[in-house]
Amino acid sequence: MTQYWVLGRRAIREVLRTPESLFPTVFIPIFFLVVNVGQAGRIFPAGATSFLKGQNYAAFQLPSALLLAASFGSAALYLVEDIEGGYFDKLRAAPVSRTAIVLGRLTAEAAKSVAISALIVLIALPFGISVASGILGFVLLLVLAAAWSVVYSGFVQLIALKSRSAAATQSGSLVFFPLLFLTPNFVPRDKLTHPMEIAATFNPVTYIMEALRSLILDDLDWTRIGRGFAVVAIAGVVMVALNVRAIRSYD
Amino acid sequence: MPLAVEAHQLVKRFSGRGGTVDAVRGVDLRVEEGEVFGFLGPNGAGKSTTVRMLTTLMTITSGTARVAGIDVSDEPDAARRGIGVALQEVGLDPRQTGRELLVLQARLFGSSASQAADRAQELLELVDLVDAADRRIKGYSGGMKRRLDLASALVHQPKVLFLDEPTTGLDPASRLTVWEEMRRINAQGTTVFLTTQYLEEADQLCSRLAIIDGGLIVREGTPVELKAELRRRRSLPQDPSLDDVFLDATGRTRERIAGQVQEVQG
Repeated sequence: MTQYWVLGRRAIREVLRTPESLFPTVFIPIFFLVVNVGQAGRIFPAGATSFLKGQNYAAFQLPSALLLAASFGSAALYLVEDIEGGYFDKLRAAPVSRTAIVLGRLTAEAAKSVAISALIVLIALPFGISVASGILGFVLLLVLAAAWSVVYSGFVQLIALKSRSAAATQSGSLVFFPLLFLTPNFVPRDKLTHPMEIAATFNPVTYIMEALRSLILDDLDWTRIGRGFAVVAIAGVVMVALNVRAIRSYD
Repeated sequence: MPLAVEAHQLVKRFSGRGGTVDAVRGVDLRVEEGEVFGFLGPNGAGKSTTVRMLTTLMTITSGTARVAGIDVSDEPDAARRGIGVALQEVGLDPRQTGRELLVLQARLFGSSASQAADRAQELLELVDLVDAADRRIKGYSGGMKRRLDLASALVHQPKVLFLDEPTTGLDPASRLTVWEEMRRINAQGTTVFLTTQYLEEADQLCSRLAIIDGGLIVREGTPVELKAELRRRRSLPQDPSLDDVFLDATGRTRERIAGQVQEVQG
């Protein structure tokens, strides 16, 4: 536990000492939110669109922005720096739990995601967006976004461990974009074309997006929330296990 | 005398798309406690690969290795507690301060927060980095980074310290400082396993040494023994230098090293 704690604190210090890396994480999701709402907002007027539940189209788009922000993790790139600079070997040569090495960084990602998600929601509030599920819903929103950041950072960290290359890691992190566009990003799942609906049904990101959306548009819908949390829990366990295995077999 | 490092028929084979490469082909080593043992060899001879296997950083294809009496494959964590490692590439996090790095390293080896802080201060004094302790490492000079790396390998007072080319790229003054540190650490009872390409360094510091070439040990003994053996074998009028021993052992000539065409394979 001590090892996990000290490595987590080190990773948080790392993030705080490179504030410039946080700017795109906040700016790009907000940019996409504004552009998407600007392009499709008039197609879906608040009063005449039943799936908006009385809110405007920005509320429907907010989960995409939160998922995008949570997917801009820097843990894997810091890991590549550690590998290239030799510090990763220093850690491996110490009697440190391999799980602590993985979780230390991922916890810092989760903390960063909580702060950035809260900031994005706060920026969105003056534009007529509210979190219909209340304070508890807001907290669950932050926790779910943070849990997704752990899953996705775990995935990119796996690429870093396998490739040991910053270029490959950065390219690998772009996998999120096709995943995002295979979700009910612009309309609910039942309004997608049949092939897209099938693709979205098999895409785990869909269930996280639907859970986040339900927290913003509905009162607490435990079925949808539960599905979202179940997906991140399963994916999180798989990612941590694969990362630990990759470090154990790292030569 | 108990052995600090013991390797038996150590082999490392790399397999990839380009085929199979045997980087280490059956190395036997016996390093006694308290020695400064030099491990020499030309580039690509298998020095770093051997060190990485002995320090648990690389899996062993076949053979066995024990460090501080512990099998590195069977009990890697226990072995790590007895090993200090400063590799060729200084393993530092440039965003942390020197003090933070040492405290973190001490905590990873099980020290409490206050013990780690005390140990960090002690080591900063030892390597003369107290003034720079609270500055970020990215601003340190090459010599300062090397000294900090050495300090971080010592946080847990290891029984065996592995130093992989610790003076490569350092100016003469920094090199002498590292030599002094090495002697001081060894005088306190720590066995030092030193890989180097600088033969003068090995001659100055090592009580015994081995030369590896092509993944095999080709010479082993004290510097005096190795020079005397070459003098006898070649009927030389005076003792050769360690450079001559190295060139003889690795089948190279001064001409080849200097890049000339004339070549003799021993």
